[in-house]
Amino acid sequence: MSHGDTIPLHSTSQSDIDEIENLIHSTLQSGPATVLPARPPSPPRIPVSSSPFIPSNLPPPPPVSHHKPTPVPAAAAAPPPPPQGSGGSGQQQGIGATGFGSPPNTLTEPVWDTVKRDLSRIVSNLKLVVFPNPYREDPGKALRDWDLWGPFFFIVFLGLVLSWSASVKKSEVFAVAFALLAAGAVILTLNVLLLGGHIIFFQSLSLLGYCLVPLDIGALVCMLYDNVILKVIVVCVTLAWSSWAAYPFMSTAVNPKRKALALYPVLLMYVSVGFLIVAID
Amino acid sequence: MDLILPTGESYAHPKLCFFHVVFKAAALAFYILSALFFDSFVIIFVTTVLLAALDFWVVKNVSGRILVGLRWWNEINDEGESVWKFECLDQESLARMNKKDSWLFWWTLYLTALSWIVLGIFSLIRFEADYLLVVGVCLTLSIANIVGFTRCRKDAKKQFQAFASQTIASRFSSTIQSAFSIV
Repeated sequence: MSHGDTIPLHSTSQSDIDEIENLIHSTLQSGPATVLPARPPSPPRIPVSSSPFIPSNLPPPPPVSHHKPTPVPAAAAAPPPPPQGSGGSGQQQGIGATGFGSPPNTLTEPVWDTVKRDLSRIVSNLKLVVFPNPYREDPGKALRDWDLWGPFFFIVFLGLVLSWSASVKKSEVFAVAFALLAAGAVILTLNVLLLGGHIIFFQSLSLLGYCLVPLDIGALVCMLYDNVILKVIVVCVTLAWSSWAAYPFMSTAVNPKRKALALYPVLLMYVSVGFLIVAID
Repeated sequence: MDLILPTGESYAHPKLCFFHVVFKAAALAFYILSALFFDSFVIIFVTTVLLAALDFWVVKNVSGRILVGLRWWNEINDEGESVWKFECLDQESLARMNKKDSWLFWWTLYLTALSWIVLGIFSLIRFEADYLLVVGVCLTLSIANIVGFTRCRKDAKKQFQAFASQTIASRFSSTIQSAFSIV
């Protein structure tokens, strides 16, 4: 379908983003700024989630030379827009009549690719938040590609583990744990915003969710071993780890005089979750 | 968007329409029927919310793109600000979209949100706070999709108007220039 790739894609800020991205590409790569091929390269471009400067859900650069001067590029290929970090990469192989990419043969194929991509995003976000890395001090860059799937799974996991550990009232435990964590994350974010801090709502939710991972591990260990002293030690260690993970993001978001006001509720929430883990039997 | 089902054409992407509907219907059905089979709230919660989350993902990333040609997402730009991006197909492709597909898309979106609201009212009346939690989560996901796609569509309409006026202006100026060049 040679006509397929001449259907222009009308987007809001696409051309600006492409311009910026091409500049970044040309400086990062040693080669000259190339005239990009009219067709998108046949293997779908895997979003670069390892680079902190390029958000992973940028679309593949369309031919800039065609795109910019006129809003209706004459012969420009219409790059199939990558979905936001997901959506079948298999769907981007062909360029169908819609200009978006032909629907796949089976819906399962691209779903798997998408799931893989989302999973890798979760893993990379996890590594950025919970483990030491050079980008921690800059909250804007550190969790650039926020996603809420990771926090969702971790909160549900913590609720499930707590529920399994409980011998009675399992449903209530789960509901309380989930509601506490979800509402707690929202309220903590609002707290920082009301203190005049500069964070992005979803980014902060995502961060607080990822910081629960040490507590998840602690809860799992506590479920498996019933020794009280061991539980207390494990919970203390994982609590400290969670707080350490959350500290740089929260503290750099507000001005230094209000740092304690922003950090104290976070600490309080993690301590209460820790108590919940220890006290469950 | 029209109120009557456009007849005379069939679905262009029947499998996709099926998937678009099936996760929503499964979440609603599971929620409603599970009280009969499962005693444990945890299973109901996790399964319903999982189905609702899957549906959110399918609608946002797959069926939105293919059935109505719209896409929305959020990016964080270099200054650390969050930017909502909306994207749509150009006007000719949009006009060529299957009417039945888009009718199904929008109506199932609205109907699902409405059903969750009704179920929420039921659980409110019965003072079941934990079921209200489930309904709350599913409702949030449905409304997020509705808001995202509606804003995307409005943005698309604005763009087309701007583009149309720009084209008219440029054509006007080019005809004037050609008129002057002839003279």
